[in-house]
Amino acid sequence: MKIIPENLYMRSLLEKLCTDSGVSGCEYEMLPVINDLLGNIAQISTDSSGNIIASMGTENTNKHIIIDAHIDRIGLAVTCINEQGFVKAEPVGGIDLRSLPGSAVKIHGSKELTGIICTMPPHLSDGDELSRDKIWIDTGLPAGKVREIVSLGDTAVLCSEFRELLGNKVSVSALDNRSGCAILVRCARLLAEEKLPCRVSFVFSSQEETGELGAGTAAFSLEPDEAVVIDVGFAAQDGVPPEKSGKLGCGGIICISPVLSKQVTQKLMDIASCLEMKYDFEVCGGATGTNADRIACSRKGVKTGVISLPSKNMHTPTEVVSLEDMENLAALLKIYIMEGGADNA
Amino acid sequence: MLDYELLQKLCTSCGISGDEGEVRELILNEIKPFADEITVDASGNIIAFKKGRRTPAKKLLISAHMDEVGFIVTYITSDGCLKFDCVGGVNDSAAFSKNVKVGPKKLHGVVCAKPVHLLTADEKKKSPKIKDLLIDIGAESREEAEKYVSPGDSIVFDSLYENRYGRVISKAIDDRFGCLVLIELIRSELEYDTWFSFVVQEEIGLRGAKCAAFSVAPDNAIVIEATTAADVPYSENEDRVCLVGGGAVVTFMDRATIYDKEFYRIAKECAEQEGIKFQTKTKIAGGNDAGAIHSSRGGVRTLAISVPCRYLHASGSLASTDDMEAVFRLARSAAARIQGM
Repeated sequence: MKIIPENLYMRSLLEKLCTDSGVSGCEYEMLPVINDLLGNIAQISTDSSGNIIASMGTENTNKHIIIDAHIDRIGLAVTCINEQGFVKAEPVGGIDLRSLPGSAVKIHGSKELTGIICTMPPHLSDGDELSRDKIWIDTGLPAGKVREIVSLGDTAVLCSEFRELLGNKVSVSALDNRSGCAILVRCARLLAEEKLPCRVSFVFSSQEETGELGAGTAAFSLEPDEAVVIDVGFAAQDGVPPEKSGKLGCGGIICISPVLSKQVTQKLMDIASCLEMKYDFEVCGGATGTNADRIACSRKGVKTGVISLPSKNMHTPTEVVSLEDMENLAALLKIYIMEGGADNA
Repeated sequence: MLDYELLQKLCTSCGISGDEGEVRELILNEIKPFADEITVDASGNIIAFKKGRRTPAKKLLISAHMDEVGFIVTYITSDGCLKFDCVGGVNDSAAFSKNVKVGPKKLHGVVCAKPVHLLTADEKKKSPKIKDLLIDIGAESREEAEKYVSPGDSIVFDSLYENRYGRVISKAIDDRFGCLVLIELIRSELEYDTWFSFVVQEEIGLRGAKCAAFSVAPDNAIVIEATTAADVPYSENEDRVCLVGGGAVVTFMDRATIYDKEFYRIAKECAEQEGIKFQTKTKIAGGNDAGAIHSSRGGVRTLAISVPCRYLHASGSLASTDDMEAVFRLARSAAARIQGM
């Protein structure tokens, strides 16, 4: 039942990264966390779109690889406070409206303020009609007091405590994609003592959930030769077709798609096979729905691959991932970088 | 002021209908030093007697229920997920994506359904039905899950408790708040001898109260409850039923009971004379243990005093501490007035 010792570090990374902060557009709130985790082994920089970039490796090489994971999380934005003190909000990113009724939220006002998403009692409705235009937060405070703490534009998130499930799995909100960020941090720490054959930039990119803004601007600025994107993908669960998913604990999902570089994808599979690492794969007929879609066609084009971490209940406050999968993917990325990427002739 | 630390212990204890043991133990420990007689009956009700300065002409029972709504494991799927059913009236919208605790080992679980990205436009607009949801505990097979969970295990919400800014956010305010009021009365000096019952299984049909009322055989009864406040956006006028912050709720009629007219008047007078904030419900809605108690044996004159509470049967309900204080004061003074009759 307990998390195995090999996964405790990854667990601690998730606890630091899966915070209530950093809704799309507020990624700067996560800068102190990245500084704390990587400041002593990488050069940390930010840019005008909110990306946080940690660079390491050899300066004077002509090879530059970026490893991307978006750091923004879905949430809500406050749009109105009514006379009774109820706070109206709209989604930031593709929040699952089904997860809202009756859920606890934290509003990031001048102080943190807890509330509950209003639901209609049963005698007044036969099941809430879910609508992004009818999200009200009840803080239980009168309007005057609410206005002292909350301003229009403040963000809010669904709260969920960190929970351990059986089999080295964990659940908490914002695993999409702080789990990807944790893999990047773990990979960077594994590389800290190594002499790298290339320059590598770990891009904690902004605003993926609202349209992949950060990955596009970062790819333009950094002009990488190759890129690997880490994001969550569907874990096998009831209602998810097997061809669109990988089992939780399968090691990770390598994505095959026309928009991705066959060379990078093959290299990732070769490394996995070579290390006798478990993995699954997923085939997309077109765009991948990840930051790779933007990065692959940045400037004159970037050879890009995608690895997905299987996650259940995506875009709810109780996403579930496997710590073993995460550890596995960090090790895979480490070798990819140590070998100078896919195109290392 | 009420003992809100105890309210937190009561609300965060696990006790769905039929599995109230943990709550019962907590309450027994709290009342043992103060009650003159305590028994636990066959259905699990606590019946306590506290001597006052005087013996009233008519026997009064004050009652609250210990159970909360939740779920029960019905089946373990081949891939190790749990199917479950509701225990008590939980809205379909309240379950999905919530954290829960399963079984006596309080295993963590999350309530799952197909991810939002794979839903049709129509499916996205509706809350999933509870019968279509599964609980994931992380097990990968039925065999693994069976090591930790069995059909019949209880499932409770695992949600936050917060008492700040004069309001409490928690699961199970319905009716652990009522239990708190009874405990506070038992701890205090009473003018008259009083019977108390902390009953089981209110949420699945007022079952514990029926037995407790038979055993105690009171002439009069007061039920302390939490009742639905529907004063949320998109709800207007009488549809709001009662208001959070509007004071103690005294009901003249609900779906289970027409309350004693004189007791209703007495409660209203007490409130007016003692400056206690008071309201009544603007809809004939809901029902509580009064339904079982007022029809017990040859009939019992019954009053209900409730705290208005939003999102009553969800993982997080919300009530005002001012209203809680008002219910306690009114319960105390109406009880003495009724006992003096």
